Amino acid sequence: MNTIGIVFTAEFMRRIRSRAFLAGTLIGAAGILVLTLLPTILGGMTSSSSKNVVLVGDPALTAQAKKALAGDFEVASTLPRLDQAPTAAFLDAHGKAVAVAVLTTHPGLRVTVYARDPSQFRESFGRDLATVQIGLALGVPAARVEASSKVPVDVHDVSGRFADAAAADAAKGVAYFFVILLYLSILLNAQSIMTSVAEEKTNRIAELLVATLDPSRLLAAKILASAATSFIQLGVWVATGIVGGRAVTGLLAHGAAATSGAPSPLGTIDVSSGEILAFLAFFAIGFTQYGVLYAAAASLINRTEDLGSVAGPLVIPVIIGFFLAMVAMNAPNDPRIVACSLIPLISPFVMFTRIAVSSVPVWQLVLSLALNVGSAALLAWASGKIYRVGLLLYGRPPSLKQVIATLRA
Amino acid sequence: MGTLVLSNVARSFGDVVAVRDVSFTVPPGTTFGLLGPNGAGKTTTMRMILGILIPDRGVVSWDGAAVTLPVRRRFGYLPEERGLYGKLKVRDQISYFGRLHGVPAPEDTRRADAWIERLGLGEYANRRCGELSKGNQQKVQIACAALHEPELLVLDEPFSGLDPVNAETLHSALRTLRDAGTTLILSSHQMWQIEDLCESFCVIADGTVRASGTLAELRDAWPTRIVEVEPVAAPLRSVLEAMPGARRLPDADRPTLAYEIPADADTAALLRRLVAAGDVTRFERVDPSLRDIYLRAIGAAA
Repeated sequence: MNTIGIVFTAEFMRRIRSRAFLAGTLIGAAGILVLTLLPTILGGMTSSSSKNVVLVGDPALTAQAKKALAGDFEVASTLPRLDQAPTAAFLDAHGKAVAVAVLTTHPGLRVTVYARDPSQFRESFGRDLATVQIGLALGVPAARVEASSKVPVDVHDVSGRFADAAAADAAKGVAYFFVILLYLSILLNAQSIMTSVAEEKTNRIAELLVATLDPSRLLAAKILASAATSFIQLGVWVATGIVGGRAVTGLLAHGAAATSGAPSPLGTIDVSSGEILAFLAFFAIGFTQYGVLYAAAASLINRTEDLGSVAGPLVIPVIIGFFLAMVAMNAPNDPRIVACSLIPLISPFVMFTRIAVSSVPVWQLVLSLALNVGSAALLAWASGKIYRVGLLLYGRPPSLKQVIATLRA
Repeated sequence: MGTLVLSNVARSFGDVVAVRDVSFTVPPGTTFGLLGPNGAGKTTTMRMILGILIPDRGVVSWDGAAVTLPVRRRFGYLPEERGLYGKLKVRDQISYFGRLHGVPAPEDTRRADAWIERLGLGEYANRRCGELSKGNQQKVQIACAALHEPELLVLDEPFSGLDPVNAETLHSALRTLRDAGTTLILSSHQMWQIEDLCESFCVIADGTVRASGTLAELRDAWPTRIVEVEPVAAPLRSVLEAMPGARRLPDADRPTLAYEIPADADTAALLRRLVAAGDVTRFERVDPSLRDIYLRAIGAAA
């Protein structure tokens, strides 16, 4: 077995047997369960964040609908008819308009929504247009009004990415679920790499290791071992998230069926192979980027007590990435989000979310991957150099000038 | 087996010069003592031998060629500060370092058990290293460094912090390795611990070599000798005082005339003159000890 294999095996076994790994995996699983259920639990309390619509239909109908929707929506314009199904360009042409509601009374009020983010409209239209239905149905017996108080709403994704709103819901659930996995996995395992490097440095084991194997191979073995344990953790979390989530959602749905028609994202998760590939690719890239950064930072400290001070700044891009991913779920094609999906360290979170909830142009995907792979290679090179020097550097931490000099050497 | 040669190696850390110019040769299968005060450059020199640090100048060679990574895997190293995984069990730790140096499984475990037995660590074999005393950790460290039967074993302050019993156990282990043909390089402040183990020495101070060679060669190079004469009598003192280049040493704790005389002085003639001057009950020519040589070399550096 070569030295990478020997270090990898030893590191892997050390990690897998550690209490920290066990605790992290179990706590993470519990966290995943809670966090993936949150959208279901909170779903009924939230309203659409997309407030702009174009109403299409008979002027009398749209005028009444406009009044009914006034409290919740801003009606950008009204049109008597549509010649063809709206496209993304059509939505863009109407300024801030994000949806087109086509109203028709035959054979009863029916609403068809064309939206960039279909998952946001089904509930709000169904709920809010019920009043229109009642108004239009004036004179109709009460039993019929009640029976027809739920307005049928057909929601279409203008990009053609999702077949219906349920699929869009599920996609958002998938994105949410995997972004949390990515976040937890990077944070926990990057910290674990950091602790391992710091232990080897402060115990002077690093001297022994560097005498026997190349530091870059040592670093590579550590990252690989950490990635392997991370995949095991992911397996546990995914199983918890999907199996556990479905079970709990099933129970919730059973009890709440009479009061809410909202499906749980977890209940309808159907992960495509493309999404899995995208997740694995961005996971590998993100893991490498953060792993080498954390290892290099840890090699510069002299006491394990100092870990927090170097870990703090490195957590910031992880948190930023996570929160931008949350924003990206509702605005995947916002130009600012598109830009963020190209920025290394942040894009593993943001681009994955965009892939899951919208149709990302191929050029953006290729550019993001290229930038991320390039930056991961650059970070690995720079971190490897810092790591090699940092491991044997004792006493006062190096200044920024010294670190730059190390990179130039 | 190869010969280790250091030729004018130097290494600085920023503005701090750790090693200015160090050269020495360690023949195969010999034991070499690297002596020097704190900050002399011993550890930096050892790290350059092991390839942990790259010299700014000069060359380290093994068997006439540069010390590459495959060569380094045939070396062993015991750093001054303990380098052990605290949570790893003793047997696993020793086996791991053996595997890193190319010992295949299950040979690594077999050898680890042999070293555990040899060093009296049997009852700790399945204990975590962090639970062991400093002395026992040192023994584990020795086993880690020697499991792959290295061609060259570099030991930085191996006796530091060991009680006499553990020091003797380590001594014994090192003698075994020496007898098996391993080239040993040891550094120590406590010369008595390595004087009988080493065949040649190098005294480093301020990053430069102050003295080097076998003990006999170092003694030959020593410029003076000490003669001790008893009883303390005026006629005998007069003979010693009259000798060219003689210098009286401070009184010892017993009544003795102690003088430092030039190394090339004719001591037989001196003895004849002393006997002619009076009764001589004791006459002894004392060769300089390693400690004397070391202190003189360091003093010259100061």
